[in-house]
Amino acid sequence: MNNYKLIIMTDDKQVVLERILQVTRYRGFLIDGITASVNNANNIATIELMVSSDRPITLLIDQINKLVDIKSVAVDNNASQLCSA
Amino acid sequence: MTDSKPLTGGGLLFNVLEQHGVEHIFGYPGGAIMPIYDALVDSNVQHFLCRHEQGASFSAVGYARASGKVGVCMATSGPGATNLITGLADALADSIPVVAITGQVPTAAMGSDAFQETDIFGLSLACTKHSFQVTNIDDLEKVLHQAFAIALEGRQGPVLVDIPKDIQIAAVEQTFTKAASLKNKVKLPLADITKALDLLTNANKPILYVGGGVGMANAIDEVRDFANKTGLPSVSTLKGLGAINPDSEHYIGMLGMHGTKAANLAVHDCDLLIAVGARFDDRVTGKLDQFAPDAKVIHFDIDTAEINKRRIADAPILGDLKENLPLLTMPLSIQSWQAQVQQMKDDCAWRYDHPGEGIFAPAVLKETSDLMPENTCVTTDVGQHQMWAAQHMDFDDPSNFLTSGSMGTMGFGLPAAIGAQISRPHDTVIAVSGDGSIMMNVQELATIKRYQIPVKIILIDNAKLGMVRQWQDLFFDGRLSETDLSDNPDFVMLATAFDIKAKQITKKSEVTEAIKEMLDHDGAYLLQVKIDAKDNVWPLVPPNSANNEMMESA
Repeated sequence: MNNYKLIIMTDDKQVVLERILQVTRYRGFLIDGITASVNNANNIATIELMVSSDRPITLLIDQINKLVDIKSVAVDNNASQLCSA
Repeated sequence: MTDSKPLTGGGLLFNVLEQHGVEHIFGYPGGAIMPIYDALVDSNVQHFLCRHEQGASFSAVGYARASGKVGVCMATSGPGATNLITGLADALADSIPVVAITGQVPTAAMGSDAFQETDIFGLSLACTKHSFQVTNIDDLEKVLHQAFAIALEGRQGPVLVDIPKDIQIAAVEQTFTKAASLKNKVKLPLADITKALDLLTNANKPILYVGGGVGMANAIDEVRDFANKTGLPSVSTLKGLGAINPDSEHYIGMLGMHGTKAANLAVHDCDLLIAVGARFDDRVTGKLDQFAPDAKVIHFDIDTAEINKRRIADAPILGDLKENLPLLTMPLSIQSWQAQVQQMKDDCAWRYDHPGEGIFAPAVLKETSDLMPENTCVTTDVGQHQMWAAQHMDFDDPSNFLTSGSMGTMGFGLPAAIGAQISRPHDTVIAVSGDGSIMMNVQELATIKRYQIPVKIILIDNAKLGMVRQWQDLFFDGRLSETDLSDNPDFVMLATAFDIKAKQITKKSEVTEAIKEMLDHDGAYLLQVKIDAKDNVWPLVPPNSANNEMMESA
């Protein structure tokens, strides 16, 4: 099981957090932790999502990126732990 | 709207629908959507009252798929909204642009477990491309425009807009502002054209694998030009049928679980697979690690998430097919491979010389295909009849073959045919159904009666849930479980009750005349075709098997 930290930037829109959590679960990733905050000046939310899975993280990044309100998704490599093959 | 009435949220809805060119919608009224139905009275949009919200959603899907326009359906809150969900899930799975409008209890009552209140906004997350709940009347116009933009942008899909009752009756001024175009977050181009050209020119046994994305991208001309100029042997997915002209010299039919033997063997043997708007679905690949095991892959798609999802692409080409396919269009020297594939095609041609007096469903569908007028649109339900239609009927455009591909939803065919016929009133529309499937949305015969919709229905009747029965026979030691439908209603009497002309045939000798009578009839017609309950769909790739391990008989 690999652990990843995703940094998600998103418009602060209705149910965007629920959408991210639904996609994460459906695509086969466990949610190990989450922090979220909103910049009220520009209505951009920053969500840090700790997830774990045996599946490649690119599969989840691509699916979250498809959500309409998402501005960007990136992996924080410093905070991610990959099992050696 | 008349000048004497102030514009309300409900009236604004229809103004925006008309701005987007919507002429027809499908729905069912109820308490929390009554203000919208009141506004409908003053609208130019024509509403078709279906007899179940699921029928309305599938009619919207059929309308969209047959016409290339956005399909629109609407329903009230609670059970009305939940009844739309199967159609929305089907539209999401097959990437069909649909806008669904649901009424909701007033905002003050939301979250109080009010009568006919359900959290359709929450339920929509897993079955729509996007969804909105409008809680401020000033947002309604913009949201409705966004709904149409999102439904059509990139990989198409369904969008739901949930409108509480107080928003529907609130006074509003229309601003006529248009939705801003959506920004593509994908960093284009992810297009390895140089690598793709290298793979294509060095391949000895390349295959063109055509999916439903071709029709959705309106890139049929480009794909046909690509196939013709390269001379590539081509195969199609279920949803891609019609993208390649079935008479094309190097076309070898559908691949996958019930694909042609030639298509599956050629794909298994190929050294390069050019996937165009296709997504390596499990019903296509069989055992994934044995699918085209020696092939490199060039993958054209509009959806980043499909690249490398199930099969790593050696050369991914992301973006608009219409722009990207011509970049690889050039003559290839693959005559030896073409001859090899042609031999496979000749060796595996369909046979219709079924013994006995009983009716052979593939022959009925083949003959229907030969006799039906040009540009006929065929819908199917799901099961054996669906696979026989895919195998034995020819289509010259994907919009002429509407089938629930990804979701495999029984009950799709009849309401989808209604939507297709309304969108294309001058074309013949045929719903090919089974005796199990038709009962799933049989209430829509009333919609056919009400609007005098001249849909032709071919009911392939084996008094079984045939595909499940086939699998129970083949893979569950013949232990038949809940697949007997021998107590079906009298389908001729049932159709007649809805003023639909109907006929039952039981013998091979009756087939030709019956098909002609059905096609020549002015109005709706149901042709019940009794077949042997033991007939199976062949070939069949067994579960967890490679496509070259297909069964051709029990």
